[in-house]
Amino acid sequence: MNRKLFAIVSAGLLLALLVAGCAPKTVTVTVEVPVERTVEVERTVEVEVPAERIEVRLSGWAANPQETALLESLLYRFSVENPDIVVKYEPITGDYWQAIKTLVASGEEPDIYYMDIFQFPFFAQQGVLLPLDDMMASTGTSRDAFIPDLIDAFTYEGKTYGIPKDFNTLALFYNKDMFAAAGLEEPTDDWTWDDLKAAAEALSDPDNNVYGLGVPADPGRFPIFVFQNGGKIMTDDFSDTLLDSPEVIEAAEFYTSFYFDGSGALPSDVGEGWQGTAFGKGNFAMVYEGGWLIPYLNEQFPDLNYGAVLPPEGPAGYGNLIFTVAYVISQNSEHPEAAWRVIDFLTNEASQTTVLESGFALPSRAALIDHPYFEEHPVSATIFRGAEGATPFMWGLYGSDVNEKMAQALERIYLEGQSPAESFQQAAAELRDIFKEG
Amino acid sequence: MNMRMRRRLGEWLTAYIFLLPWLFIFLVFVLFSIGWAFYLSFTKYNLFSPPQWVGVEQYLKVIRNEDFLQHALPNTLKYVAVVVPTQTVLSLIIAFALDQKIRFRRFFRTAFYVPSVTSSVVISLIFLWLFSKIGIINQIFHLDIDWLNSPTYALPTIMIVNIWSTIGTMMLIFLAALQDIPESLYEAAEIDGANRFQIFRHITIPALRPAIFFVVTMGVIGCFQVFDQIYVMTSGGPLGATTTMAYLVYKWAFQSTNIRMGRASAVAFILSLMILVVVLIQRRFIEQPEEE
Repeated sequence: MNRKLFAIVSAGLLLALLVAGCAPKTVTVTVEVPVERTVEVERTVEVEVPAERIEVRLSGWAANPQETALLESLLYRFSVENPDIVVKYEPITGDYWQAIKTLVASGEEPDIYYMDIFQFPFFAQQGVLLPLDDMMASTGTSRDAFIPDLIDAFTYEGKTYGIPKDFNTLALFYNKDMFAAAGLEEPTDDWTWDDLKAAAEALSDPDNNVYGLGVPADPGRFPIFVFQNGGKIMTDDFSDTLLDSPEVIEAAEFYTSFYFDGSGALPSDVGEGWQGTAFGKGNFAMVYEGGWLIPYLNEQFPDLNYGAVLPPEGPAGYGNLIFTVAYVISQNSEHPEAAWRVIDFLTNEASQTTVLESGFALPSRAALIDHPYFEEHPVSATIFRGAEGATPFMWGLYGSDVNEKMAQALERIYLEGQSPAESFQQAAAELRDIFKEG
Repeated sequence: MNMRMRRRLGEWLTAYIFLLPWLFIFLVFVLFSIGWAFYLSFTKYNLFSPPQWVGVEQYLKVIRNEDFLQHALPNTLKYVAVVVPTQTVLSLIIAFALDQKIRFRRFFRTAFYVPSVTSSVVISLIFLWLFSKIGIINQIFHLDIDWLNSPTYALPTIMIVNIWSTIGTMMLIFLAALQDIPESLYEAAEIDGANRFQIFRHITIPALRPAIFFVVTMGVIGCFQVFDQIYVMTSGGPLGATTTMAYLVYKWAFQSTNIRMGRASAVAFILSLMILVVVLIQRRFIEQPEEE
């Protein structure tokens, strides 16, 4: 309720700012700034509004009303500090990528928009994004301030094209009550595949629709087992797939073994579309999911007693996936300098701290690891720490094809009983045909 | 003479002024779009770089593509072959039954029509639960089938959903046509000693011919283009078992990280050609049957 009110008040203020912008005079602006989740401080700021103001458009997907309110509150703070720039926030509902690609094609895209790492290679290769390095230097913004894996992911041919706004990794979520009931010790960060397997077997009770681990045919989960086994999905230059390499096949043998020996299952086996729901309902004792599961569990299953640890290590050690989104500037932007000031503000330490404290996303700034928020929220801390040594969720230009073939390879093993070796060799062969066809 | 010409010109002008809004929309959003898509089907186009003319290359790639040959084409044909006859026959039977003087006729007519005014996305979601592994269908029939995650059962499940949701509209068309048949024909047949089946076969069916043609044509077009239920329920999976031609168009045009507009347009044109051919063939069968 409070947030909703806040959003309405804020929207009204933006309108007031716009109207006031017509004449150079001093206006009084009241801005509510949420300092912590529960405390909201009201303060009054005197702002000199210049006659000529630059308009910058910003678009992203609207994940939920809270995240939208969070972004809007940051934008109002920006408008107070930078009265010469007006940021027009234009969230896109529905299919974001379809919408943004069409906008780019017609040259109508906003100055700043969200860029998912999975989609980044195509945009970068097509040259529709603006390199940010010079502007970063002009404001003294260093690449080193960000978590290296994140900023590196948005680097193409040596140039930085996006500033990561937040990220997620996978963690092993576990149901504490189910572990206690089975008399098992809870997982720790130094667990290995063997520990995972032993616990999954002990926790399973297929007759009652209870399984140790969720093992969906999901290209956003399976690759961590490949990394933990020392393998890769694609070659370093993304020109070829490694899905038929022994490391991948072994990982697939291990991953699908949970399904065949009854210690794991697919979400659809327990009548769910997503394993997060199966975890909340107690059908799965352990699942690999990211930070998005936390607000979902809080809302849908508030009584669930759960924890999370780093993904257990495989024969080759640690491996994880990074899902990240950046702000990028369009090559067509008429006001790249102003757009950069917006991005710089939204990703500075103060804004990123607000993002972290809101609890909706993990900030991209490396220094925030010491923030006290993480002491109170160990699950978020696990996901934040998971980034070190993890691999971005990105398979190059043909990412969607790689994902599709990887999922189908797992489906063939699950649904048709094909051997992992045969199935992944078929996937690799099909992918090579696609790479050749274009 | 002059007066008459002027009046005709005036009428002509008035007509076009009234037609203008529709004509504008038709020219821009239908005719131009179709023309542009036809042009794109001969190009390589990823939205961001200008289209590159490649001739018939995209068509050749489509007819050699595994997704197209092994999934989209056979699935679409199977879908049309099963759904069109089933929904036509079922809706005809229901319409015939509800044309009799039975009790609660109005209630049944409404009940059968309700799915047609319900959003296809909502219907898909309801069936998603009905056909889930722990869903009510499995519980009633004591089965343990994961309908939508099984390459064998996923397409039939989508067929069932579509048959169930389209029967209402078709029933309504048949009902209207049935009520148009003059009572005197039936009376004459009865006097001639025809039994109920003979009346149905030789009076009702021939009189319904235009309605049947309409229903089958709409059914063929709708089934060739099936998309929403697949998008919501299975996303073309598992293992391509529910990838149809319309879904393939969507996949290549909008779902790929590397957009293939040209190839998607080529599939769209192959699809419209197939619809055209099928509709022409069935017109011969229904409108000019051999016996006449």
